[in-house]
Amino acid sequence: MTKIMVVDDHPMWREGVARDLAEAGYDVIATAGEGAQAIRVGGSLKPEVMVLDLQLPDMSGVDVIKGVMAAHPNVRILVLSASAEHQDVLEAVKAGALGYLVKSAGHDEFLEAVRRTAEGDAVFTAGLAGLVLGEYRRLAAAPVSSGSENPRLTDRETEILRLVAKGLSYRQIADRLVLSHRTVQNHVQNTLGKLQLHNRVELVRYAIEQGLDDTPSNS
Amino acid sequence: MWRALTVFRFASLGYAAILMANSFRTYERPWLGWAVLGVMAAWSIFASIAYAEKKRRGWPLLIADLVVTLAVLLASQWVIPPVLLQGGAATIPMAWVASPVLAWASTGGRRAGVFAALTIGAADLWLRGSVSYATVNATVLLVLAGFVIGYVVHLALESEARMQAATELEAATRERERLARGIHDGVLQVLALIARRGAELGGEAAELGKLAGQQESALRALVSVQQPAHQAGEADLRETLGQFASPLVELALPATPVPVPQGVALELAAAVGSALDNVRVHCGPAAKAWVLLELEGPAITVTVRDNGPGIPEGRLDQAAAEGRLGVAQSIVGRMRDIGGTALITSAADGTEVELRYPK
Repeated sequence: MTKIMVVDDHPMWREGVARDLAEAGYDVIATAGEGAQAIRVGGSLKPEVMVLDLQLPDMSGVDVIKGVMAAHPNVRILVLSASAEHQDVLEAVKAGALGYLVKSAGHDEFLEAVRRTAEGDAVFTAGLAGLVLGEYRRLAAAPVSSGSENPRLTDRETEILRLVAKGLSYRQIADRLVLSHRTVQNHVQNTLGKLQLHNRVELVRYAIEQGLDDTPSNS
Repeated sequence: MWRALTVFRFASLGYAAILMANSFRTYERPWLGWAVLGVMAAWSIFASIAYAEKKRRGWPLLIADLVVTLAVLLASQWVIPPVLLQGGAATIPMAWVASPVLAWASTGGRRAGVFAALTIGAADLWLRGSVSYATVNATVLLVLAGFVIGYVVHLALESEARMQAATELEAATRERERLARGIHDGVLQVLALIARRGAELGGEAAELGKLAGQQESALRALVSVQQPAHQAGEADLRETLGQFASPLVELALPATPVPVPQGVALELAAAVGSALDNVRVHCGPAAKAWVLLELEGPAITVTVRDNGPGIPEGRLDQAAAEGRLGVAQSIVGRMRDIGGTALITSAADGTEVELRYPK
């Protein structure tokens, strides 16, 4: 049974989601209402999937994702949010979340998203595809930071991401482009992977620029 | 403004007093001259106090001001010998006559100022009995003063009103942000929960849940506050399109602002709106639609796609041939007006309307 942790500061919502997941056959090993608690518990219990609300009272959703990923890198995070604050969602996905769903999504849609997250597949709604597409376009127009090139989409990836953003299912996309369902899935996954990699490289570079160079050496 | 007028009143009163002291020996009735000066001083004091209070600055006071000034001006004829007057000598009140002109202009704007100036000019003319260089000169100066002050006051009031509106807008935005935070944390969550549970329970509860879901979308669109990253006259197209979000319409937008001129934003939104209306008409109330906004280099693309049955081949051309301006035509027309293009494609799994604006 897949081990799941639910993080949400709204008790009613938290219980509802946990109950739905348990009914669907998942093992809900823990729930948490605060970010710090989520990082602590998540780090020690190591759930396979974490369903995370972006609005927590004590810290930002992106920081929670970073904290949890640092303590338990193999966790698969599905972001569930009441708000569609674009920048927050994009940052969450860049920080390593596998997918994003608004809370108004239906019951079946939610369970399907959890299932795919558990399998390690990116969960792309049209809204998220639009954000990722926009981010690549922004990076393409932005000046290249020294040392590394900004990530780019291949023509195929752009084509597929646009179709996702226009609401086509992977199945419909596969039919339209005469590809296998798996191939479409891989392309979508790649777009996210490149963005997350770029984000990590940027973070490391930032850390080096800000701190490591100035660290006095012990030798 | 009103304080400046008070200063002017007393300064010009002092000037009139000096003139009087200099030349009262040449006057026919010096005692009357001093009496008139006394009236002027008394009125100056009264008017200064009266004008200080905003609610007393009405027409009764303005008319009284003009009448007193006219009376003082016309009283000159019994004080100053007609020969001197016709020769262009100064009247008793001299520059003091400008006070009501300034008061009228400040209250009633350019037209009132010019009217008061012309009235006093006419009285001056009648007093002197002939059109002289000095009279015309004085009247022209008065009219100019009335006009300019009226105009300046008009500008000042306008900018004050704008300032007020901007302050109000800022306060409203801050309040909206505060509300938005509160609503995110509470109301939206509960509405989403009701929508979810309702759908699970089925029956009447499902109906209620659906309503809650619609309200949640509407409320979220309402309170999502974006930073005003655009300048005056520009709109963030993401905000403009935000109005269309609903359970049946999913928006796919970039995370950063898409600034376009206000007019373009409105036309694009109207085009998207009619495309979505079209979806409702042709694909039924349950059809889903997606709106994708892309900014690529300088070009903006908005795509509206539905999952309806598509448009039968030749349907659009047929409508055009029958002389009916279909919705499609109006979308194309709108886009052409702002220098963009619209492309409508249809497949078995839905219809796509692609709007391009080259920016």
